Amino acid sequence: MTSLSLKGIRKSYGSLPVIKGVDLSVDSREFVVFVGPSGCGKSTLLRMIAGLESITAGELEIGGKRMNDVDPSKRGIAMVFQSYALYPHMSVRDNMGFALRFAGKPKDEIARQVNEAARILELGPLLDRLPAQLSGGQRQRVAIGRAIVRHPDVFLFDEPLSNLDAELRVHMRIELARLHRELQATIIYVTHDQVEAMTLADKIVVLREGEVSQVGTPLQLYDDPNNLFVAGFIGSPKMNFLSGEVVDAGAGTASIALVNHGGVRLTKPIGGPLPRKGEMVTLGIRPEHFGVAGAGTDLTLAVDVAEHLGSTTYVYANGGGERLIIQREERHMGDSDTIAVSIPSEAALLFDSAGKRLR
Amino acid sequence: MSFALLRRGGVYVFLSIATFLSVFPFYWMAVGATNQSPDIVRGKLGFGGNLLVNFQHLMTQVDLPRVFGNSFFIAVVSTLLTLIVSSLAGYGFEMFRSRIRERIFQLLLLLLSIPFAALMVPLFVMISRAQLNNTFTAVILPGIASIFIVFYFRQATKAFPRELRDAARVDGLKEWQIFLFVYMPTMRSTYAAATIIVFMNAWNNYLWPLIVLQTPDNKTITLVISTLTAAYTPDYGVILLATVLATAPTLVIFFVLQRQFVQGMLGAVK
Repeated sequence: MTSLSLKGIRKSYGSLPVIKGVDLSVDSREFVVFVGPSGCGKSTLLRMIAGLESITAGELEIGGKRMNDVDPSKRGIAMVFQSYALYPHMSVRDNMGFALRFAGKPKDEIARQVNEAARILELGPLLDRLPAQLSGGQRQRVAIGRAIVRHPDVFLFDEPLSNLDAELRVHMRIELARLHRELQATIIYVTHDQVEAMTLADKIVVLREGEVSQVGTPLQLYDDPNNLFVAGFIGSPKMNFLSGEVVDAGAGTASIALVNHGGVRLTKPIGGPLPRKGEMVTLGIRPEHFGVAGAGTDLTLAVDVAEHLGSTTYVYANGGGERLIIQREERHMGDSDTIAVSIPSEAALLFDSAGKRLR
Repeated sequence: MSFALLRRGGVYVFLSIATFLSVFPFYWMAVGATNQSPDIVRGKLGFGGNLLVNFQHLMTQVDLPRVFGNSFFIAVVSTLLTLIVSSLAGYGFEMFRSRIRERIFQLLLLLLSIPFAALMVPLFVMISRAQLNNTFTAVILPGIASIFIVFYFRQATKAFPRELRDAARVDGLKEWQIFLFVYMPTMRSTYAAATIIVFMNAWNNYLWPLIVLQTPDNKTITLVISTLTAAYTPDYGVILLATVLATAPTLVIFFVLQRQFVQGMLGAVK
């Protein structure tokens, strides 16, 4: 398998820039997920790697070779599309062998490769069916099979699970993880579903408006986001954000008043440059990091709804116009209209007014 | 008696009249082909026993195999070339981005509004200068870039999944291979519908062949039928038999491709 690198990659449609300079390296056998909201350029970036979109500026290298102007079929990639893109008039067998046929491979070689891919994906009994005779999950497996038979250096997946129902999506997610382990393949995977990103990726690339917002392992991004966007995007339920004002800063700590909660204070140690006194900041805390009242900065919130999921409970509560989600392990929260929680200083993340993390 | 029932009855009456108006000419044509001319003029509406006699008379007046051969050749070649040229154009218009694409397409649609009668004379001059007069090429050539069929294919191509083209590109196909091995098979219902339209047009074409085909050897079935009516005492039995025979191929094509035709028409407006 092969590594891949993007250096200063840009893409513009006329005067409209959509990819604004992406630098990224993907190691051999790595499972990299591009994640971001709709329109952030993740699919465009994938299509540029595939050769389906031209590269306006920058260098794309696959296996150490410059690939900017190389034909898609000669880049050593295979792509799985969101809509599967199976040729409707061909059987599963022909769909899977189509690329090999055009590469001039002998018939017995094609048959061997197709049968091998069918074995891996358990498609054997379906080989003579047409795509229209398959379920969504089966079609997706055929699309993956079509990629596998080419033995590509890099697999590219463009939101491959988004057309499947929730149950099948979970099943296929596990299948993909198994496939990655079995094939030891380099995979670049695009999704807007951060659960997919968290569960599948060795490395996540969070994109926003054509730029890389942060790159890291799933837990790095979850625990240590660089900015407000990544903090809000990664994690389900989302991180809670509270508005604050710096009331004191010095000696490696900042004292924050939570402006919508009666000005209760939280003191946070900061290693880097301190915020100015009076600066507005945002405090972020994950739902599971709230403590019981009395253990830190206490808040009293009005309970809106409690969702009991069995092993855990999500309490949706309001306070000072801010809606917060609190995760609780207790099964019976009672019928109380209010909930008292505390924000442990070590679990709270601080972001400056531009959304940049204050560490 | 409710209003709904009355309305339903009204619909049935309307549909019955429409069906009668559509089917009766065919019935009359078929009946006429089996009757003598005087019976037809008198308005006989039942089948007669004169079919074979009419057929013998037709064969003595017309070199039927040759005329049918001419019509077939022109219709089949026209259909093939029109489908190839127009579907390529439709594919190109839809698939390739260009600043002037829409301008050119609008210009083409504008040209669609020019009646053939206005183009006839300049076209004839062009064909004569190219020394193609009285050839099948002269009949076929002007029709193969049909703006209507280009428009039809472009509209149908909007429903062609772009990702299929992308998948084919990743699979190593060149653009012409994508067209041949992916686009054409995927769009076969569109091709079927277009085949019916183009074949019928080419088969029924009268005015242009009348202008460019002069010698009897080259005449098509539509031209020959018109010569039969030109006699001092036209034999309607023979004329209607010729008409039945002339209608048969288009009916066969229609019924063979009917299902695909309906799918193709649906696909075009989806």
